[in-house]
Amino acid sequence: MTRLNALLRGSEPAASLPSSLKDFQLTKRKALDTVLLPTRKTENWKYSAKRLGDINGLPADLKTSSGLAEKTDPNTVIIENGQVAHSDIGIAGVTLKTFDMLSEDEAKVVMQGVIARSDDLQFAQLNHAEFSNGVFVSVADHTQAEQALRIIIRHSGQGISYSRVFITLGKLASLTVIEELSFDDLGGASALLNSVTDCTLSAGARMQYIRSDMDQQAQSKVIGATGVVQNRDSFFESHCLGLGTHLDRHDFRIEMAEPGAECNLNGVCVTQQQQHYDNHTSIEHIAPNCQSNESYRCIAGDQSQIVFNGRIHIHRDAQKTLGSMSNKNLLLSNGAEIDSKPELEIYADDVKCAHGTTIGQLDEQEIYYLKTRGIKDEQARQMLTLGFVLELVRANPIAEIAEQWEDKLASLLSFEQ
Amino acid sequence: MLSISNLQASVEDKQILTGLNLEVKAGEVHAIMGPNGSGKSTLSQVLAGNEAYEVNGGSVSLEGNDLLDMSTEDRAREGVFLAFQYPVEIPGVSNLQFMKTAINNIRQHRGQDEINAAEFMKLAKQKIQQVNLDPSFLKRGVNEGFSGGEKKRNEIMQMLMLEPKLAILDETDSGLDIDALRVVADGVNALRSPDRAVIMVTHYQRLLDYIVPDYVHVLANGKIIKSGGKELALELEERGYGWLGIDEKAKA
Ligand SMILES: Nc1ncnc2c1ncn2[C@@H]1O[C@H](COP(=O)(O)OP(=O)(O)O)[C@@H](O)[C@H]1O
Ligand SMILES: [Mg+2]
Repeated sequence: MTRLNALLRGSEPAASLPSSLKDFQLTKRKALDTVLLPTRKTENWKYSAKRLGDINGLPADLKTSSGLAEKTDPNTVIIENGQVAHSDIGIAGVTLKTFDMLSEDEAKVVMQGVIARSDDLQFAQLNHAEFSNGVFVSVADHTQAEQALRIIIRHSGQGISYSRVFITLGKLASLTVIEELSFDDLGGASALLNSVTDCTLSAGARMQYIRSDMDQQAQSKVIGATGVVQNRDSFFESHCLGLGTHLDRHDFRIEMAEPGAECNLNGVCVTQQQQHYDNHTSIEHIAPNCQSNESYRCIAGDQSQIVFNGRIHIHRDAQKTLGSMSNKNLLLSNGAEIDSKPELEIYADDVKCAHGTTIGQLDEQEIYYLKTRGIKDEQARQMLTLGFVLELVRANPIAEIAEQWEDKLASLLSFEQ
Repeated sequence: MLSISNLQASVEDKQILTGLNLEVKAGEVHAIMGPNGSGKSTLSQVLAGNEAYEVNGGSVSLEGNDLLDMSTEDRAREGVFLAFQYPVEIPGVSNLQFMKTAINNIRQHRGQDEINAAEFMKLAKQKIQQVNLDPSFLKRGVNEGFSGGEKKRNEIMQMLMLEPKLAILDETDSGLDIDALRVVADGVNALRSPDRAVIMVTHYQRLLDYIVPDYVHVLANGKIIKSGGKELALELEERGYGWLGIDEKAKA
């Protein structure tokens, strides 16, 4: 059995980090001695472990390609191979620092993120132990950020990179974050992008989180985790688009820590050829009177594989919780595989929690209806396949991104090659 | 235009149409009436090309061509249009996208260029107004969350946009209030012309006050058992189906 510490490359924490973060890293490094590289017997990696392949053999040397991270606009921060390439932003009320600039107090906040505290996420653990820098975003109390903050997370070259983002919204603050994970042209080299983003929403804060992970190179792997702590009456909404790669994994954890919080999670996932995508979402209803709505739609074609594991955990004190989870899946070929598993753990008695998952093929009645209007079979299937996910894509609050995603999906799902 | 001879069809091993004959000429409007379960929708679906129904006898020709030999989409391209009794909801595909794709398929079939975007929008807005639906319905998913009446109007809107040679309306009048019924009737009347034909399947005489048919047929047990002029509809209204030897209750 391989231990995860075999993947450690750096010898010790970066000297520039605040000392509490260095201590955190040292503790996490030590902890890795007992963490095993997941196998198919590892419960949370059951369907995806086989995709890890020879991750252990990835070399240490990561060369940042030159001229890649061209700064485009003042609302964008770029993290490339774990290094913050551009961090100057100009959104009023929004402060951005790199981890090496953090005060000890700020560093402590970073360590309280959901993912930072998740000891069961093997690769997040690795990230805790290995990141060399990160981006810390804070929005001042009562600030409604006028522009969206775009965070581009890039990987280039052969090897593993670690990106780290921490976002904190003050009381009644609001912010839209667009997180884009991408790879440089790898030229066939194997690469793993390991990203962790933790968010904390203070009372009454509102955050929209738009995440896309659209690389489709056969050699790229993405293992990402997003965590959100929601305090009183806060609101969180996410729109995720994932296209498959060799291994693509997103762990999404929401902690409804105080009453009155609400979250809406929307996700679309499309895989083709031999690709893979694994969504693990987990909503912890700790406080009473919170609401969570989750809707994920996935399409797997060819010999690809999609996993959806949706956990809702309603703690004993979380009375009056309203939860709903829907996962609808479309299989486009006999060779494709979708594993969908809702996981409800409910310990409070006065709650409403609806859930449903479906795995199906295109509806013949719908195809027929389109054909009665003169539309050819192939085109009808294409329209319906696209329509299946566009319902969610069109809910994206940023019209420009909705359009961009729609165009991408339209070209991807067009059967006419 | 349409010639149906001894048509027999079954669904799930149940024989529904048992030898149906019908001649429809260009310019004519035919009403087909009959009790529930007599096979009216089956006839409509067979003509449109629904593969859930198996044709096991007889023939149908459209302007001399074998209709049953054509694919569903080719029938539509040749000018057959069915307004569904139960229109299908397709979330995610907008009405606009749907109609534009349909029109372009039909135009391509005729060797015409694709419709230009401005021309299409103008047409769509005009037709949606004609059926008294708010233009916002064009952007919505096809029939998605539409009320029963809105779905029927949307069927008529599609018919007006596609301008079929042969329109088959399967109980488009059922469940409509009087305003919606007028909208449907006006739509059909607007389409009437010497080179088009209409088959209206209906359960009630009411629609025929607004669209006056040239012929009325009674369908029972999978056959047309009586044909006449528009006065036959009135007679059915007054006397029910019993006098024709049909036990309506047993069929419904
Ligand atoms: N898809 C189907 N599967 C099974 N039975 C059907 C189906 N469609 C119609 N039938 C049956 O065929 C008969 C005729 O139905 P239909 O053509 O819908 O009658 P109508 O439209 O005159 O009310 C009914 O007994 C009905 O139950
Ligand atoms: Mg019927």
